[in-house]
Amino acid sequence: MNDPSTLSVISTKKIIQMNNVWTSYDSKSYALEGINLSIDKGTNYAIVGKSGSGKSTLLKLMNGMMTPSKGTIKIDYQTPNMNDKKFKLLMHKIGYIPQSLGLIKNITVLENILIGALPRLGKIQSMFKIFPEEEIQEAKNILKLVGLSGKEERKAYMLSGGEKRRVAIARALMQKPTILLADEIVSELDHVTARDIMNLILDAQKRMNLTAIMVHHDMQLALEYANRVAVIKEGKKILEIGVEGEKIIDFQTGDLTSQEILEMYSDESKK
Amino acid sequence: MNQKNNLIVGIIIALVVVASYNVDANPLDFVEGLPNLAIVAEEMTQVDAELFGTAFWSMLETIQMAFIGTMVGVVISLPLSMIAARNLNSKFVYGPVRAILAAIRTFPSILWAILFVIMVGLGPFAGVLAIIMYTVGFVTKLQYESIETIDSDPMDAVSSIGVSKWQMIRYVVLPESAPHLLSQMLYMFDYNIRQTSILGLVGAGGIGFYIINYIKFFEYGKAAVFMIVVLITVLIFDWASVKIRDKYIIKSQHGMEVNAN
Ligand SMILES: Nc1ncnc2c1ncn2[C@@H]1O[C@H](COP(=O)(O)OP(=O)(O)O)[C@@H](O)[C@H]1O
Ligand SMILES: [Mg+2]
Repeated sequence: MNDPSTLSVISTKKIIQMNNVWTSYDSKSYALEGINLSIDKGTNYAIVGKSGSGKSTLLKLMNGMMTPSKGTIKIDYQTPNMNDKKFKLLMHKIGYIPQSLGLIKNITVLENILIGALPRLGKIQSMFKIFPEEEIQEAKNILKLVGLSGKEERKAYMLSGGEKRRVAIARALMQKPTILLADEIVSELDHVTARDIMNLILDAQKRMNLTAIMVHHDMQLALEYANRVAVIKEGKKILEIGVEGEKIIDFQTGDLTSQEILEMYSDESKK
Repeated sequence: MNQKNNLIVGIIIALVVVASYNVDANPLDFVEGLPNLAIVAEEMTQVDAELFGTAFWSMLETIQMAFIGTMVGVVISLPLSMIAARNLNSKFVYGPVRAILAAIRTFPSILWAILFVIMVGLGPFAGVLAIIMYTVGFVTKLQYESIETIDSDPMDAVSSIGVSKWQMIRYVVLPESAPHLLSQMLYMFDYNIRQTSILGLVGAGGIGFYIINYIKFFEYGKAAVFMIVVLITVLIFDWASVKIRDKYIIKSQHGMEVNAN
């Protein structure tokens, strides 16, 4: 009823559309129940909610790793299907950083980053780990961008929590992505490091005209960095707000300040 | 509860007694046989030092057989374990491969050796083939089990990029299971040296050939030379593989734990 997409005046490219999406891990219950959302290209989108509310599940639907049991999803106007060659091409352009980061511990930082370039590498080259000089140069540029210069030969398991996150971001950027999905990657970090990393993503997002979709535990962080925030509770989207500087444009409750939203929903983001 | 335990212990004791009767395992025979052991032990002290050279060269042959068998076996195991891993393939692929591997493992190496002696004739080559078979049966199992314990998160993260299965194996599965593979290789080499030492009993090469023949002709003093060389070699390799494992392998596995936050 209150689908914000119907209210937007200027029609822009819809990079992600979900229509009444239900999904489950087992036959007993649904992890997501009737999700509707529509994300414009270039948006900095945040998903907030308590743990177990279905945030990670929502992200896994957005990269085609999970499929809905009911409803439809369109990613760049395509229906996700991992066996479809055309969708595979799209997957190459979706950078996904899981909650656990998914780095390969026993290889170096540089090698981890180069994994983002694998879709562009031929069969023989991948077998023998022969990356073209320009890919290695690109990886080094990204390494510098995320502030890890000089650490390229370090094994991934030797890094600190913040550094690991930078590597995971670099791997996603190496994909030359159009969509970046990040699952609570700053939740466990201290205030300063978390903001460093968020600024890093914000810069990349603006420069590469990325659509960034980030899951947060913390409403404050979401309001600080995103243009739009969706709040998930028990598998349902209970609220979606637009953020414009300090002013919140809420399609359900009228205009509120971020402080008021924070007060209203602070318990939603608590564990 | 206690009564039930007593009953179980009673039944086990009864079974051991019945089985011993059936196989004619009489403890009295053991006690009566002890003087024989003393005779053998005494003759063994008459070590024939001239034979140490021969013993050394035949031990070297044994080690080389074990080395070839281990390395070739591991190389064959690698692709097989990828096929047999549940997290990489469907039931229809890993099912049959696992069944064949289980069948291979039912044979001890000495039986494989007999089979290969019949096939390729007497000599070390039959022994090498036997060690290869044994190594393939075991290392593949160890390897696919360690592949199955690989953290699914890196695999999910990388597969969401849409990489090919080969790239997945090359860039995630291999590096993540490499430390295990190295320690399995060491373990297997160590174990294969012991195994190869007895393959000579059936004519499949190695130092066991001398041991069995001297024993057959009651030349315990000569057999002893070869047994001492086996003992020393096994101890050295045992010690060395513990050192190598501690120094190189434990370290990288520890790293994996650190990361599992
Ligand atoms: N792999 C899984 N198997 C079964 N249930 C799962 C699995 N992953 C998540 N769930 C369930 O789905 C619901 C949503 O989980 P999730 O999306 O991970 O929540 P969040 O990321 O918000 O903490 C929870 O009830 C959780 O228990
Ligand atoms: Mg989650």
